[in-house]
Amino acid sequence: MIDPDRLANPGEGWVSREVYWDPAVYEAELERIFARCWLFVAHESQLPNPGDFLTTRMGQDGVIVTRRRDGQLAAYLNSCPHRGNKVCHAEAGNARGFVCNYHGWSFGLDGRLLGMWQQSTFEKSAGYDAGTLGLVPVAQIESYKGLVFATFDPLAPPLDEYLGDFRWYLDVLLDNDDGGTEFLPGCIRSVLHCNWKVAAENFAGDALHAGWTHDSGARAMLGQGLKGDIDPSSSYSINVNGHCWEFALDMVGNAATFGDRTVARYIRNRAEDVEARLGKLRARMIGAASSVNVFPNFSFLPGQNSFRVWFPRGPQETELHTWVLVNRRHPPEIKEAYRRGAMLTFSPSGLFEMDDGENWEQTTLVNAGVVTRRQKLWFGLGQGTRVAHDEFPGNVFQGQINDANQRAFYRRWAQLLGADTWADVKGDPGTDQQ
Amino acid sequence: MALWIEVSQFLAYEARVLDEERYDDWLALLTEDVHYWMPGIENRRRADPIGEYAPGRMAYFDDTLEDLCRRVLRFQQPSAWMEDPPTRHLHVVSNVEVSLEATGAGHPLGGQTIIAHSVVVNYRSRGERDQDTLYARRRDRLRRDGEGRLRIAERVVQLRHNVLVAKNINTFL
Repeated sequence: MIDPDRLANPGEGWVSREVYWDPAVYEAELERIFARCWLFVAHESQLPNPGDFLTTRMGQDGVIVTRRRDGQLAAYLNSCPHRGNKVCHAEAGNARGFVCNYHGWSFGLDGRLLGMWQQSTFEKSAGYDAGTLGLVPVAQIESYKGLVFATFDPLAPPLDEYLGDFRWYLDVLLDNDDGGTEFLPGCIRSVLHCNWKVAAENFAGDALHAGWTHDSGARAMLGQGLKGDIDPSSSYSINVNGHCWEFALDMVGNAATFGDRTVARYIRNRAEDVEARLGKLRARMIGAASSVNVFPNFSFLPGQNSFRVWFPRGPQETELHTWVLVNRRHPPEIKEAYRRGAMLTFSPSGLFEMDDGENWEQTTLVNAGVVTRRQKLWFGLGQGTRVAHDEFPGNVFQGQINDANQRAFYRRWAQLLGADTWADVKGDPGTDQQ
Repeated sequence: MALWIEVSQFLAYEARVLDEERYDDWLALLTEDVHYWMPGIENRRRADPIGEYAPGRMAYFDDTLEDLCRRVLRFQQPSAWMEDPPTRHLHVVSNVEVSLEATGAGHPLGGQTIIAHSVVVNYRSRGERDQDTLYARRRDRLRRDGEGRLRIAERVVQLRHNVLVAKNINTFL
């Protein structure tokens, strides 16, 4: 079995490059992280009506997420119990059920086996029991304010507990208005030849790269580079259960990258209403210079409102799916400004995202060298910056130019890889982080 | 036939301008009111009324000239680290079909715009052996400027990919 302590010591501030390369590490992640954690699978707005479905993955397992006739959301393995063929080949749509192309096995929206080609022959066969041959459901599926998560592990704690106090931060985007949120229609997908963690840890806490990596994008969109010396007294890195949010309190730092001021102006105009709802501090986080990763692989950028999942496809390949989140009650021109803004900044053709892929691929692929991958990577920036804060829950660190969240990500990663079941996962591994 | 030759030559010239990263020259081939659209391609069933793509849904490009100028400005920054050493681009344009479409009376072009359908294959090679190939169909609406030169007023780039088999699109198709 993998010994996570050999691979990462966040307390001392290092991570082995093997975590990006070793196939055994990757297999352990599929078993102990992706088959175990609550994973983002949909936004409720993507499935408003009975029969609406989308296909996605949990780890490398293909799943169908659908709204049943009774209005409940459900998710099943996208694989026929008969010979295993995929039963749903479209990325989204509306259906009365799912029929396998191979032998015509047919399933209801509730996953039950309804019938098949040559049904009477099956019915005469000893041991055939349609009741045991439905689509395999996930163990648990729950929503948090529009975001739908599922887990394959019946022992996983409830979603509320899994997210913990991170919900207080998620409300910045999910609950700043009575009407709730929605995803704009469509989904952009691309392939990166990098390990999934390189991307996830970047969104968890790498504010550092923004000013350097994205200088060209900033100059094109803002007319100037990003500031080099950011005052650490007004920015934070916080984490809860390995979920990470690094942020300034500048309200529109991210939104400003759209160039066009429409969204930034709109956020400022709403500030008082949001303050009344969420308080002064959270009102300043809505479009701020910030990035977020919900453990393990669900990330977003407040301000650009680009939401994304880094699907693992082997140690050296990641498939990225991105969506744009807006408030349902945003006026149409604001929704359009978010759609175009996210496209121009953080999509495969975007002025900012373009520079990330190249870095992340090389960060991963250099480790083909056996001597190279023996080397450790330094994650020690911001050791000793933990602070007590009156309002911010969770583990709070002063300054967003800080590896504190990336260390927290690897603490959670090591905790899960080292645990045989959820019963062995004892609390937030970040609570004693300094 | 003369128009087909002229349009084919124009599209081949445009492809060479892009291969040579002469982005200011490329912008000069667009009209001021250009709409450059590369929608995201969705993998939906034939019966699904939403179809492969539609206006207002997620896109790679849904650009005005100002947006395209911003993209070019990024390519031209000395700090566009990933563009240095440069990408080796190749735009292959084929299957060119040309037709005329009636426009409003009193139009400076005698009431006609040129519709050009084409196929583009874009090969990119970066670093030592990193390579991507993208395939697309294009539908262009071309107009003549005051001096009679062809200019692109509208381009729809219909990618032949659902998942973009690349990490980015650091060019124009």
